[in-house]
Amino acid sequence: MRIPGAVRTAITGVGWAVAGPGFDAATELARRGMRHKDRASRFALRAAERALEDAGLLGAAELGGAAVVLSSDFGNLDTVCDFVTTIATSNSSDISPMRVPHLSSQAPAAWVALQHGIRGPNLTLCNGAPGGLDAVAWACNLIAASRATSALVIGVEPDTPPVARLHAETAGVKWIDGAVGLVIEPVQHAVGRGARIRAEIAGYGKGDDERSALEAAGAAPTSRRLGSEPTARFGRCSGALGVVQCAMAVEQMDDVAVVAVSGPWAGESDETSVSALVLTPR
Amino acid sequence: MTWDIVGMSAVCSLGDSVTGIHEALCSGRSGLAPVSAFDTSRYRAGSAYEVPDRARPGVDEPLRATRWLVRVIREALSDAGLPAAVPGLPVLVGTTHREMRTAELWWQHRAPLAPADLHFTSALRAAFGTSSVHTISSACASSLYALGMATDLIALGDADTVVVAGTDSITESSFGGFDRIQFPPPSGIRMFDRSRCGMIMGEGAVAVVLRRTGAHPGRVHGQVRGVSMNCDASHPTAPDPAGIVRAIEDAHHRAGVAPDEIDFVVAHGSGTPQSDLAEAVALRQVFKAADPGPLVTGIKAGMGHISGGAGLLNLVIALEAIRSGTLPGISDLTDPIEETKELRVISGAPATGSFGTAQVHAIGMGGINAVAIVEGAAQ
Repeated sequence: MRIPGAVRTAITGVGWAVAGPGFDAATELARRGMRHKDRASRFALRAAERALEDAGLLGAAELGGAAVVLSSDFGNLDTVCDFVTTIATSNSSDISPMRVPHLSSQAPAAWVALQHGIRGPNLTLCNGAPGGLDAVAWACNLIAASRATSALVIGVEPDTPPVARLHAETAGVKWIDGAVGLVIEPVQHAVGRGARIRAEIAGYGKGDDERSALEAAGAAPTSRRLGSEPTARFGRCSGALGVVQCAMAVEQMDDVAVVAVSGPWAGESDETSVSALVLTPR
Repeated sequence: MTWDIVGMSAVCSLGDSVTGIHEALCSGRSGLAPVSAFDTSRYRAGSAYEVPDRARPGVDEPLRATRWLVRVIREALSDAGLPAAVPGLPVLVGTTHREMRTAELWWQHRAPLAPADLHFTSALRAAFGTSSVHTISSACASSLYALGMATDLIALGDADTVVVAGTDSITESSFGGFDRIQFPPPSGIRMFDRSRCGMIMGEGAVAVVLRRTGAHPGRVHGQVRGVSMNCDASHPTAPDPAGIVRAIEDAHHRAGVAPDEIDFVVAHGSGTPQSDLAEAVALRQVFKAADPGPLVTGIKAGMGHISGGAGLLNLVIALEAIRSGTLPGISDLTDPIEETKELRVISGAPATGSFGTAQVHAIGMGGINAVAIVEGAAQ
């Protein structure tokens, strides 16, 4: 899988919603419209809104033709685990019906689509630490295949009790609690509407190891490598990793191409494959 | 552009081969049985469509969805006459519940769980030597989304061959969640029937090998003509006929077919009041000018709702129906809803005939839709 050459695509919006300085989760996740939604969905909704706002697309009619591509490994783990606890301690009638939609991983992506009227493909990837970069590449494919006019890519991992237990049991000491969103659209469309192009997406590859992923992505040796920086800052980012990498790359973009590499270091929870994504300045 | 399906395999409560499952459906068999894995005193409902493969009845095992997935992919590759290990081969897996049943066993009973168990890359890399694995979890449209993404990979020149699969094992959380919201609990899946009151979970896996048309020298089961994928974005849980209509029309457009070229539809037909109604209304609208219009069937009364794998299971059964000239009818449909009146719904005994082109649906929670148009190879 490569980045389709037929349609050049770019990142035109970034939205951060990660608990910590600059994002008070207690207030931000308790805003209007958040009731009855799980933590992953709340973070995803905040990141989506901020990314669309940054891209100048909040409320835009053209979102009807857009896609949502979301990457998350643990978004629904709390609902699944809470339900089996409820069933074991009483019975199914004590389950909250409002929580049932959150049993499946796609709930945050569906809420985002509903919130913004995004009626194109609604895709959720649960692909381990490389999933965030994979999500960006799939967004480019959906655009190239004329399935979407633009795409909102979101990486989200909520810190919930089962997530904390899973990380703690597998040598994790710190992990992210939040979401990051990116707006991706054809370069031509961005230029046409006067949007600020933050970076072009120039290559993608997936492989058994970093070398094969970089080769598949066509990364130039002069590219600046962006790897474990998000992990150092937030702890394990898991399914959100690649999206966080893109957001950081865009913010630090100068005149050198960046290659984001996901998955190959022990600080993350998953080393089963490696993805690489090349971002170039404009 | 078209894409050839050159290998396929499936497993569910009705059997462990596509032909076996198709025969069971045609003979009206049902895989519904008392739940063996959970303590049924905790629920109002007591039955599901389980794959009867546990070593000890009543004792659940981790990683069953992964086990079936590896098996059906191995069989589909073998059916295609391709080698068992293909480094770099893209494998797209559609699944609603991933390995959430294993996570439940971990949470409740301290069974082992690693983060990488929740997707399928490590298992498929070990089994087939490829790390180009993508776990797609777009609710019950997942495996048809995976098919659409696979057609894009080939159309964009990234691959000549892609494996598309679906797998799901029944989770206690979802069994309990649906038990909470479906009252009275359904005693069977009664698609399009006035008495329908809900969905019953099934489990299983399915895989197909998809190749660029002309790339495969051997036998071809059929062709994918086009796949659509979209989202209603109109209601958190209730499907919207308008979104389903858009999905069907986009699939027709991508396939280059007109409504009257569709011989039959394998509908999603989960037996829930709202989903069946929305699907019937959408079918009526799309095919209102088609004369006589396609036959319409559904297969969930036989095998249950296999969540993320459901759409691709509809597809392999559609291809087998075209090959054999025998299309299973809807079981347990005796009092059809008004909205199906103008549709050629087949209930009970199978319909026989010479079929060419089929339309298959998958409708997921959150208004996520996918529709595929396939052409079969007759016997």
